[in-house]
Amino acid sequence: MSAISELSTIHRAKAKTPEEKRLLAKEAGRDNKAGYLFLLPWLIGLVLIIGGPMIASLYLSFTNYSLIQAPEWVGLANYARMFDDPRLHKSLAVTFTYVLVGVPLQLIAALAIAILLNEGMRGLPFYRSVFYLPSMLGSSVAIAVLWRQMFEVDGLVNQILRKFGIPATTSWIGDPQYALWTIILLHVWTFGSPMVIFLAGLRQIPGMYYEAASVDGASRWAQFRKITLPLLSPIIFFNLVLQIINAFQAFTQAFVVSNGTGGPADSTLFFTLYLYQRGFVQFQMGYAAAMAWLLVVIIAAFTAINFYFSKRWVFYGD
Amino acid sequence: MALNRRQFLIGASGLAAAATTMGLGACAPGSSGGGSQGGGNQGGKTSLALAWWGNPTRNKNTQAMIDAYMKANPNVAITGQPGDFTSYWDKLATQTAGGQAPDIIQMDMLYIAEYGTRGALLDLGSVDTSKFVEGTVDSGKINGKLVGVNAGINSALIFASPKVFEKAKMNMPDDKTWTWDQLIEIGAEVASKAGVPFGVASLLQSDALFGTFVRQHGKELFTENGLGFDVPEAQAWYDYLLKGQKAKAFGTPEQVSEEQPKPLDQSAIVVGNAAMQYYNSNQLEAVSAAAGEQPKMLRGPSLAGKATERKTWYKASMLWSASSKSKNPDAAIAWINWFANTPDAANIDLAERGIPPNTEILAEVKPKLSSAQKVVAKYIEDIKPEVGETPIAPPPGGGTIQTVIFRHGIDVLFGKTSPADGAKQFVDEMKSNLKV
Repeated sequence: MSAISELSTIHRAKAKTPEEKRLLAKEAGRDNKAGYLFLLPWLIGLVLIIGGPMIASLYLSFTNYSLIQAPEWVGLANYARMFDDPRLHKSLAVTFTYVLVGVPLQLIAALAIAILLNEGMRGLPFYRSVFYLPSMLGSSVAIAVLWRQMFEVDGLVNQILRKFGIPATTSWIGDPQYALWTIILLHVWTFGSPMVIFLAGLRQIPGMYYEAASVDGASRWAQFRKITLPLLSPIIFFNLVLQIINAFQAFTQAFVVSNGTGGPADSTLFFTLYLYQRGFVQFQMGYAAAMAWLLVVIIAAFTAINFYFSKRWVFYGD
Repeated sequence: MALNRRQFLIGASGLAAAATTMGLGACAPGSSGGGSQGGGNQGGKTSLALAWWGNPTRNKNTQAMIDAYMKANPNVAITGQPGDFTSYWDKLATQTAGGQAPDIIQMDMLYIAEYGTRGALLDLGSVDTSKFVEGTVDSGKINGKLVGVNAGINSALIFASPKVFEKAKMNMPDDKTWTWDQLIEIGAEVASKAGVPFGVASLLQSDALFGTFVRQHGKELFTENGLGFDVPEAQAWYDYLLKGQKAKAFGTPEQVSEEQPKPLDQSAIVVGNAAMQYYNSNQLEAVSAAAGEQPKMLRGPSLAGKATERKTWYKASMLWSASSKSKNPDAAIAWINWFANTPDAANIDLAERGIPPNTEILAEVKPKLSSAQKVVAKYIEDIKPEVGETPIAPPPGGGTIQTVIFRHGIDVLFGKTSPADGAKQFVDEMKSNLKV
């Protein structure tokens, strides 16, 4: 149900006589029309740019489609094949690790820095920009290339470790045990955009709550737990939902760091990277489309679970 | 459950974000009017689109060739579509799906069958290849039909760094008699004496050297019926690489896996981390420029210790194909014919795309080649008696062999799986990839 029709329902409920109801309904209808008119540009975009391709993609997921020849209907065969595709299972494991570890770490980092910046230090705009910078660079090809060089056997990271007397000879990106973690680290480093949102949220919390709490002798930790966290919970929820959706679709970093292979030994084979390989390297666009739909279902499920549990911890204050 | 407005907005924006993923795989073929991009006849001129991947030199050469051709043929208008290797294939697949493939397509051996067997390429039987060196035409044939004209000869080999061998105080090996085992011995010795990580780098990346290894065992990479080798050959190769790793000739598994995604200018032999490295002959000039010294070109080893029995072949470094949907097929064929058979084109491109397969053209441009290109031309000529039959192009799905051999190989090198199991997984996956 859209927000607009929800509003008109409320109006209708307040109307008493049939005459009033009729008038209000007419008014609501007019309101709705205006509302939809304002939405029109977005709706056209949704239908043409997203809706059309989505329907086409759903159709293609039931076909054998090589991109070059016309699609050929195969029913559920693509979906059935997923059950015994070990690389698909591997790519799911990699992606889930990335999301379940990377997103919480990134949000914790974002919140911690936002709280620090909110202390009202001098030169805040400067620090805010500096911390935001990685977010803008993080998904770029240049940073991924740099990342690859930093974590090589003779890369910057090992050179620094050696300066401290640690005989570091591990190739962080060459060893299947560690490669994924360097990409998770890259993800955590791009905490800027949730940080800015947290910062805006922190600014909304009235200072008097903290004043009252300190008068009552509450510690900083107690203030954080009893005031900051509950009042910030809608923002945390917002960031959590969006970052999970984003992280499931991560592609660039893995593509560049492994040169599109998902290596070493498939340790950075993200779901989207495998989807790309199937579609564009192996010319199996039907299977790739089916994989895209599996990802939609996974993301939708995660979002639904998030909303379900949000009732227990998100506090809207109204 | 009634959502409040905030929840609704979060959900809606999330769904919109998720939906962008699905834009993939959503383009029906031939839906958009058909015809080639830039095709048709504009203002009485025949227009052609020409796509290639490359490097700055090749971009400059190709544009110069286009300009020269248009000057000689004022009724033809050609638009160039340069690109880089990786994105080139994504774009070509998408364009082909939309019925908008360029008229003239620079093609690679890895992909020619994907397009050729699916009817996307024009029959180039009318292009004159009568002056081509024997064995250089066949690689462009799919099911007996010529769909790609060899644009330059290439051969897989090993580059050796004179500097590193000098540092180790060792002589260059005799590449006419060396065996696979000697490659390990020499690699291990030079690596330890010169103190470099790799005696030989990038062997696991080379489906071409694996190809000669398989052929020396009497098999082929691919046959008309599918995969031409089986688990024993694959296992022998993994056993061999593991042996070289244990002898400290081929680098550690971490180094091997790190080396794989590196571009040419950061590769082991260029930065001085390897005594020898797998390369293709046409890359000599680029490697020399990046490394500051000209590597020596060494033939790949053989089982028998005889270069004449190593069963190498003339590889097409790239080919020219034309789209079967082209509106001006004759004009596209005319351009390919011009490239293959006139000195006008060769005088501009020289050996940038590999040594010209047309012997008359090669004789014509030879004096103008750079010193590195002359070395390559001589090498290609020298190995003529050693060249075996040209293998067939990898069938659809076969282009994945490079990544599949590497992926299972790296598991073997890391000790995660045995050579026998790794070989079985490699062969199984290739067989299933060929079943498209």
